[in-house]
Amino acid sequence: MLFFRQLMLTQFRNYVFDSFTFTQNVVGISGANGSGKTNLLDAIHYLCFTKSYFSRPDAQNVHQGMQGFRLQATVTRQQQDFELLCILRENNRKEFLIDGDAYKKFSSHIGRFPCVMIAPDDVELISNGSEERRKFIDTLLSQLNEDYLKNLIDYTKILQQRNSLLKAAAEHNRLDDALLDILDEQLSERATNIYNRRNDFMQEFIPAVQQEYESIAGKGDEVHINYYSQLHHNSMQRLLRENRPRDLYLQRTGAGIHKDDLEFSMQQQAFKNIASQGQRKSLLFALKLAEFNILKQYKGFAPVLLLDDIFEKLDAARMHNLLHKVCVQQQAQVFITDTHKERLESAFEQLGIGFELVKLE
Amino acid sequence: MLIPFFIHIIPAHFLAKPYPILYLCKMQLASNLLENAVNEFAKLPGIGKKTALRLVLHLLKQDTAEVSHFGETITKMRTDIQFCNRCGNVSDAAICTICANPLRNQRLICVVENIRDVIAIENTQQFSGTYHVLGGIISPLDGVGPEQLNIESLTNRIQTEETEELIFALNPNIQGDTTIYYIQKKIQQLPCKITTIARGIAFGGELEYADELTLARSLTNRLPVGSYISNR
Repeated sequence: MLFFRQLMLTQFRNYVFDSFTFTQNVVGISGANGSGKTNLLDAIHYLCFTKSYFSRPDAQNVHQGMQGFRLQATVTRQQQDFELLCILRENNRKEFLIDGDAYKKFSSHIGRFPCVMIAPDDVELISNGSEERRKFIDTLLSQLNEDYLKNLIDYTKILQQRNSLLKAAAEHNRLDDALLDILDEQLSERATNIYNRRNDFMQEFIPAVQQEYESIAGKGDEVHINYYSQLHHNSMQRLLRENRPRDLYLQRTGAGIHKDDLEFSMQQQAFKNIASQGQRKSLLFALKLAEFNILKQYKGFAPVLLLDDIFEKLDAARMHNLLHKVCVQQQAQVFITDTHKERLESAFEQLGIGFELVKLE
Repeated sequence: MLIPFFIHIIPAHFLAKPYPILYLCKMQLASNLLENAVNEFAKLPGIGKKTALRLVLHLLKQDTAEVSHFGETITKMRTDIQFCNRCGNVSDAAICTICANPLRNQRLICVVENIRDVIAIENTQQFSGTYHVLGGIISPLDGVGPEQLNIESLTNRIQTEETEELIFALNPNIQGDTTIYYIQKKIQQLPCKITTIARGIAFGGELEYADELTLARSLTNRLPVGSYISNR
């Protein structure tokens, strides 16, 4: 398993300097609103993903009125210790070091220290546009496969080049067909790789989510999940060729794996239209727990689980179920935040496991 | 009840590092002339205000004649320099010394992005053909299309000079690949061999520290040991 033993935060969000030592698998973090519970979880996310969970610029994570921040942690992964260090310099340059060695490319860190976070706003994953769901799938697949991330980065770059070319063609009223052909070829190669990977993965992921959902929500309402992609029926090359007149008119690329989606439905209707608040939350947990399980299965050790303010979202029985699953069965390190210390304590005592509480002022 | 455990030790090297203070922006100089000169030097890459001031003060200590000579050299360099009509390299005449050299293989063209790459390859002393400087690589995002580059002159050259081999020595990234594919498509009808410089494990590098992509590529494009030894 992956275990955070020590965490030091310097000038990060509302922390000027603080150091925490963790000895238990289950860590409860309590404190009033604005005391820095979520920031503590985000610091752990930073060290796992080299960036914030809340997709904001690095500079916004610096303590007000100061310059630069530093996050440091000692983690144990399968009996081996690592020293993770993330520094944002005063000039906004970010450095990431593992055991004192700086990464040349941050992308090579992704997936080495996996974590799964569940935050209150994550329901957007179900109700918002398809971009959130692609990001979720991409984040997961990037942790499983370095090649996938490389293909994805390349795809995004080539897509930008292609869109710029389409814009320039409209502006100057002249198109270099040969160049567009080349970009299409380069784009298709990456798109096919990404599509194949996503498609294979969905065969495994969708049943896993459905199973998790059933165990959280009960057998009654069955949720149906469909992986939508334009590439199901057409090759990328053909899509680009057929859409070229339209793309030239709209000055952007209208078809490709950047239009993929995960469609949820229940009783033949779109899930987000008919599902209750509780059902949405259950589906969110199902998605995240399936992510957790797959990471564990592929990596051979349990990732860190970060649960932000989830007591607000579940009734006591479901909460107990969930905690039992992740804390007792999975043997993972779990960080849970809540405003009420007593609620955390009683929940953990019911489980009968060792835990520790961090109280933030 | 467990009490949160705090350790208040701030790493010394973190605190010892002074924050950059923007005092240099407010540099007060007694003379406007001096300040102008400092500002001009500070425009150069890698030169900050402090270094600029040091350079200017050094010039101030020198003879007037010597400083004039310095200025003239710079001006002359910029006004008199030419770009080779044939390959686009820097030159003192219409044709550069590399293109004009009869000992070099004129039917071998190495395509590079810029003049710095010519210098890098020349320093290897391993290449005896000629060059063609594109002046950039294709990147519509940066507003650089094929028409902004010396691609037409390259296709003309291949046709008129009966080029035998074209060697691409471009940076190994997506835009480099785009540029190679584009040119390759333009000239595929011409009877000219097209090659690209090898990509893989750097000489003196260590396998353990090579990234997977490079290592995988090196495995795919492996070399017969005979040619490897003879090329060392």
